[in-house]
Amino acid sequence: MAIDEVVILENSSVLYDELMAHRLGLLPLKTDLERYILPEQCDCRSPLGCPKCRVLLVLDAQARDRVVTIYSGELVSEDKEVIPISDKIPIVKLATGQKVKLEAYAKLGRGKDHAKWQPVSASVLTETGKEDEFELYIESVGSLTAPTILSKAAEILHDKLNQFATAKGLA
Amino acid sequence: MDTWLIIEDILRKEGIARQHLNSYNEFIERGIQSIVDEIGSVEIESLTNPYKIRFGRVKLGTPRVVEIDGSVSNILPLEGRLRNMSYVAPIHLEMVVEENGIVREQQTQHVGDLPVMVRSDLCALSKMTEQQLIDVGDDPNDPGGYFIVNGSERVIVGLEDLSPNKIIVDMEKTGGNEVFKSKIYSSIVGYRAKLEISMKKDGAINIKLPSSPVELPLVIIMKALGIETDKDIANAISSHSEIQDLLEVSFEKATEVHTVQEALVYIGNRVAHGMVEEYRLRKAESLLDWGLLPHLGRTPNERYDKSMFLGEAVSKLLELKLGWIDPDDKDHYGNKVIKFAGQMIADLFRTAFRNLIRDMKYQLERTGQRRGMNVVGAAIRPGIITDKLRNAIATGNWGRGKVGVTQLLDRTNYLSTLSHLRRIQSPLSRSQPNFEARDLHATHFGRICPNETPEGSNCGLVKNIALSAIISVSSSASEVIERLTELGVKTTKEADQTTRADGCRIFVDGRFLGYVLDGEGLVNQFRQQRRQGNIHPHVSISYVRPKNEKAVGRIYVDVAAGRVLRPLLIVEGGQPLLTDETIQRIAKGELSWKDLIQMGVMDLVDANEEENCYVTIDQKSLNRDHTHMEVYPSAIFGVTASMIPYPEHNQSPRNTYESAMAKQSLGFPAPTYGYNTLVRQHLLVYPQPSLVATKSTPLLNLDQRPTGQNAIVAVLSYEGYNIEDAIIVNKAAIDRGFARSFFYRLYEGEAKQYLGGMKDNFEIPSAESNIRGYRGEKYYRLIESDGVVMHESVVSGGDVVIGRTSPPRFMEEYKEFEIKGPYRRDTSIAVRPSETGTVDAVFMTQNIEGGQLFKVRVRDMRVPEIGDKFASRHGQKGVVGLVVDQEDMPYTEDGIVPDVIINPHAFPSRMTVGQFIESMAGKAAALTGHPIDGSAFTGEGPEDIGTILKKFGFNSTGKEVMYDGRTGRKYAVEIFIGVVYYQKLHHMVADKIHARARGQVQMLTKQPTEGRARGGGLRFGEMERDCLIAYGAAMVLKDRLLDEADKTKIHVCEKCGLIAFHDIRQRKYVCRIDGEQSQISTVSIAYAFKLLLQEMMSLNIAPRLLVKDKV
Ligand SMILES: [Zn+2]
Repeated sequence: MAIDEVVILENSSVLYDELMAHRLGLLPLKTDLERYILPEQCDCRSPLGCPKCRVLLVLDAQARDRVVTIYSGELVSEDKEVIPISDKIPIVKLATGQKVKLEAYAKLGRGKDHAKWQPVSASVLTETGKEDEFELYIESVGSLTAPTILSKAAEILHDKLNQFATAKGLA
Repeated sequence: MDTWLIIEDILRKEGIARQHLNSYNEFIERGIQSIVDEIGSVEIESLTNPYKIRFGRVKLGTPRVVEIDGSVSNILPLEGRLRNMSYVAPIHLEMVVEENGIVREQQTQHVGDLPVMVRSDLCALSKMTEQQLIDVGDDPNDPGGYFIVNGSERVIVGLEDLSPNKIIVDMEKTGGNEVFKSKIYSSIVGYRAKLEISMKKDGAINIKLPSSPVELPLVIIMKALGIETDKDIANAISSHSEIQDLLEVSFEKATEVHTVQEALVYIGNRVAHGMVEEYRLRKAESLLDWGLLPHLGRTPNERYDKSMFLGEAVSKLLELKLGWIDPDDKDHYGNKVIKFAGQMIADLFRTAFRNLIRDMKYQLERTGQRRGMNVVGAAIRPGIITDKLRNAIATGNWGRGKVGVTQLLDRTNYLSTLSHLRRIQSPLSRSQPNFEARDLHATHFGRICPNETPEGSNCGLVKNIALSAIISVSSSASEVIERLTELGVKTTKEADQTTRADGCRIFVDGRFLGYVLDGEGLVNQFRQQRRQGNIHPHVSISYVRPKNEKAVGRIYVDVAAGRVLRPLLIVEGGQPLLTDETIQRIAKGELSWKDLIQMGVMDLVDANEEENCYVTIDQKSLNRDHTHMEVYPSAIFGVTASMIPYPEHNQSPRNTYESAMAKQSLGFPAPTYGYNTLVRQHLLVYPQPSLVATKSTPLLNLDQRPTGQNAIVAVLSYEGYNIEDAIIVNKAAIDRGFARSFFYRLYEGEAKQYLGGMKDNFEIPSAESNIRGYRGEKYYRLIESDGVVMHESVVSGGDVVIGRTSPPRFMEEYKEFEIKGPYRRDTSIAVRPSETGTVDAVFMTQNIEGGQLFKVRVRDMRVPEIGDKFASRHGQKGVVGLVVDQEDMPYTEDGIVPDVIINPHAFPSRMTVGQFIESMAGKAAALTGHPIDGSAFTGEGPEDIGTILKKFGFNSTGKEVMYDGRTGRKYAVEIFIGVVYYQKLHHMVADKIHARARGQVQMLTKQPTEGRARGGGLRFGEMERDCLIAYGAAMVLKDRLLDEADKTKIHVCEKCGLIAFHDIRQRKYVCRIDGEQSQISTVSIAYAFKLLLQEMMSLNIAPRLLVKDKV
């Protein structure tokens, strides 16, 4: 999952709203594929989604008497399972008196649409030298475990092949 | 020995804009006072009560603003920028009213406002600490050196000029004849008189002066100056017989003139022909005092000095004729000085001050009777000085045809600002070839950047000073003369015959001082004195040994401001005097670079003095003959070229291209971007310091103000989408923020007051109140009742951001529409067509006239897209040809996917090997986690980098096995991949994309308008037309050039061929000439052609169209 919609209630930081949203989007979130579905497959049709297709994370931070850096750990999620993979990712630095208050909506998505949904930081398919044998190396960013990524990918590939076969009348 | 520390210390302590600040500070400290002293006083002539106003000390106040209500407050540059005001300080002048020599009254008067150079001694910011600067909202790293006029930042670009008061000899060939010439630009501040001595084929020597319509014979001028005998004249020139022999013809031509008086009569007859005798003599005298070598003095007392100087000029000319010396090189940098803001403003101030005094005198003499300080005070119009200075800086118009003196400070990025402040302009015409003047000259070494110059018409005329260059400040000539006399120099009057004949001639500050027998000895002693601190370090001394021993040696001592000096380490006995220990103390901050000069281990030499030096580039090649050693080799570059890594591996023009491109790259110009009010501005969202940096990177603050990002770059072809220098960009990189930038545009509107009490209103123009030019409700939807758009509103082309109505332009318009009553015009400010964005900031303030001023800044996020322009630091530019999904990009065995793919064809012909090395060094830096030094000549070389790569398990050549992301197949060859610093240039497709079907046409020609902003057409030009002709596509041709352009029907009389008109009563077309007999036919022509016919008719030409039926 990755943050896809941000409702900014207050932002007096030096980061523009669109940049704040961009940075939030790039935070990798721990994802449970069993409990959430893609927004386009959900029947709620709501722009901000419903509990089946999104997770709400809230950020309410301010710098009172000194300059502070706001880290990913300060995001409060409505689903305690869906949280940033690390607490130590800097989001924004606030100068004294600055304040950020926002609601962020995380959704499932595809890496093809935006890099923030890519579950891997490296995916390498190499030749082993033997005929028809390849080696696939993947490195998870932490949102899904590597086995989950692989099995889900296989599942998607399988579905696509089935769809293809159906469409061509081969099944 | 890390001698870079010296260069670093110089630039850190002096700042990037020192040359501007020194020049300006000199003006406010001494220059302005000396201009006032020059005039001294003014006599108020009156029959009854004549009196005199004497001028005393000039005092400059602090920068301030006088508000419309008369209140005065001090301001900082920031307020000037924000409120469209000028950053000026008041000039106060002591004035004394004297009557018959008795002081009556004394008072200080405000005589005008002086534009204040930011960070000069007059500027409040120059006294602030870094934290104070931050607190007042200014950038601590801003170099200053520019002015703020009407809210905009303007630089007086350094102007290269020929050294004044130097004798330049040359041989010109005109039609097979050799003409020998000796030229002197005799200059005093604000005035320059060119003197030209020439020797033609017949051997007669003549002098050309600006104040004389004809050439005057040398001998007669010499006689007029008081040297009456031929022998004395010959001796004043040279005591050598071979030279004296060449004077024979000149003497023969002046046999009828013997005395000073006769000479003056002769000159008077030539310069003021046909006037009364008294006037002729006066003219002749003024020619000698003002027209001839005015820099030596403007009174008869200096005539002897002038004769000696003239004699020297002739001597040089004749030595050239005899082949004893070579012609002088005009392009030698020792013959050039650079004028900066102080000198330029001094020129202006002089005329402005004279105007003020003239005006004051006129007023006081007109009012007559009354006198006293109150009357004097009332007669001063400070506007004369204030307006003259402000307008000149605002427009760059310096008077006397000098235009383009000031330029708007380039704020594209921090580097471009620095470069702009170190730029130098040549006064030579850019439309003429001036080949030699454009060439790089050996004397530019270490003074002028060899790479940074524009291409095209300004090539070689616009230059930039090198990092190591120091611009001299003026120092006292009299002190130098004192030292020289102590060292045994005999003045022209004192010297005996032998000293004159055998001695070296010595010149100080453009004056012929005297002679010395042991020239070289003197020069060495003088240098010793300078190294001991007894003489200003900027004073240069050079000894010119003639190539023929019969000619005399000459010593030139120069104290003038504006010479380009460079530091050189002193070498004695094959060893530099600088020790490691001293360098360490500089590193610790215990010593400053200036101490090195005082310690006698470093010299500042100008191009003339360098002619006496034997300089080695580094310690390796040092031998016992060397006198000096370079401080640091890569300091010969200017600011932009010095940030190129490994430039010595590139083909030189590539470094020149990069020097130009770096100034167009987006970055982080200043931390004040939150409230800057520049008309256009860019900001790169995630700027990175380069992994492969140069020594100058931290020095120029480029680690804090970067202008690009480190990209993983593979050199590979990809489906042809990167041919012709296009680049392929990874979509995921873009998603993650690669090369994302903001574009800011400022819109401003002020409320003006008009005659008759009417004024502009900020409001939402209403549909009901009959407003002329009402745009329609939807365009005003974003503005609020105060007339201004709300912060963070999303706007697009045409949306009004500042709603404003103005009173009618002319009073007559009232009458015409009286029934409807007075109406107002809509003068709202709307977002430019084809631009969009978010309202970023709204500034509300008051301008100097007291009118309300709104500034609205709109920001637009620019995510890289196809067509955006990028460049590496090696003059390798290209546009995005394709954005590719990450999964389709090639990858290495480690899973590294490039951000950018460039085409291999970019390298063979361009030979930018530096980019290869940078790529490998970048990779090594990424692996080790430490930046790598890629400084010119001294950076870490490819071998060392290869070793690092090998250590981390990579191929030392930078190549890797890669796989095609689409097929998963290994590429047949290894691919060169590494980390290269990429710059996003400000040419973005979003600002250029344009198409048109139908649209606006010009009123006069009915042809489509031009340009994207006006929704213009795309020109179907002559070359395109030629194509259609070549193809024989006649119908397409007609379609483009007539049917779809400005087709018009006109009615032509077949009989006379002139245009007929439509008579409304007869309801038919008639011909004015042939009337009833005419046969009218209709023809289709281009409207522009119709216009041409009518324009010709207005010039009394009758163009006739011969019309025939189409067969
Ligand atoms: Zn839903």
